[in-house]
Amino acid sequence: MLLDLSEEHKEHLSFLPQVDSAVVAEFGRIAVEFLRRGKLNVSSDTVQHGVEGLTYLLTESSKLMISELDFQDSVFVLGFSEELNKLLLQLYLDNRKEIRTILSELAPDLPSYHSLEWRLDVQLASRSLRQQIKPAVTIKLHLNHNGGHNTSILQTDPATLLHLVQQLEQALEEMKTNHCRRVVRNIK
Amino acid sequence: MEGVLEPLLDAKSQVTNQLIDFQWKLGMVVSSDSCRSLKYPYVAVMLKAADHSGQIKNKLFEMTIPQFQNFYRQCKETAAIIETV
Repeated sequence: MLLDLSEEHKEHLSFLPQVDSAVVAEFGRIAVEFLRRGKLNVSSDTVQHGVEGLTYLLTESSKLMISELDFQDSVFVLGFSEELNKLLLQLYLDNRKEIRTILSELAPDLPSYHSLEWRLDVQLASRSLRQQIKPAVTIKLHLNHNGGHNTSILQTDPATLLHLVQQLEQALEEMKTNHCRRVVRNIK
Repeated sequence: MEGVLEPLLDAKSQVTNQLIDFQWKLGMVVSSDSCRSLKYPYVAVMLKAADHSGQIKNKLFEMTIPQFQNFYRQCKETAAIIETV
């Protein structure tokens, strides 16, 4: 799988600040090394584009997990020296695991379950109706989202709660079907 | 008084929220995940307020019986003072 290294791709690098500073330093060092061998007077734009281009090269390679050979072939089109090609390849191989870990954290994050508190109460009266006996279940759902903590307060009647429990049990039952078992086995 | 009141806009509603509806209910907590056998009465109040843009916000809070009695006493005192103005 070969990479497409056109000018436009340099724009796709908004995650740069989130990358570990040691990695960015390494990028910078290599970008500067390249510039030293190329030109003497370069604008700051060129340096920035150089670093961005290098970052993009590494993240795309890591994202697609391309083989050594494919990486070398992709970089070949840039017309660098043998030494620089080897350096880039080594940089890729040394850092791709860490880059993949960083990239995996960028996937959209849904709120996840933290804990649940419940309460069973009986409504005895309201503004509109007196002398009632109406059971209700109040639930405080604690969720984690992007490192933060959310709570939602929900209320339902016991019949709906029973239905909810039945639906959830049905979802769990699905895990035991042959189809799901086969899929899970194949992923493992 | 049932139903929702129409918000009457006046000078003060530019700054504060306007109370649209006041619903209450009296309930008794029978059981919870932390304590199984309870007999704990409470008053729940649901306020509907509109801000100056007309957006309605719901505010739900609960009071214990002593808290509610205090709340009621405050309202009664306020009403009494209004009579004297």
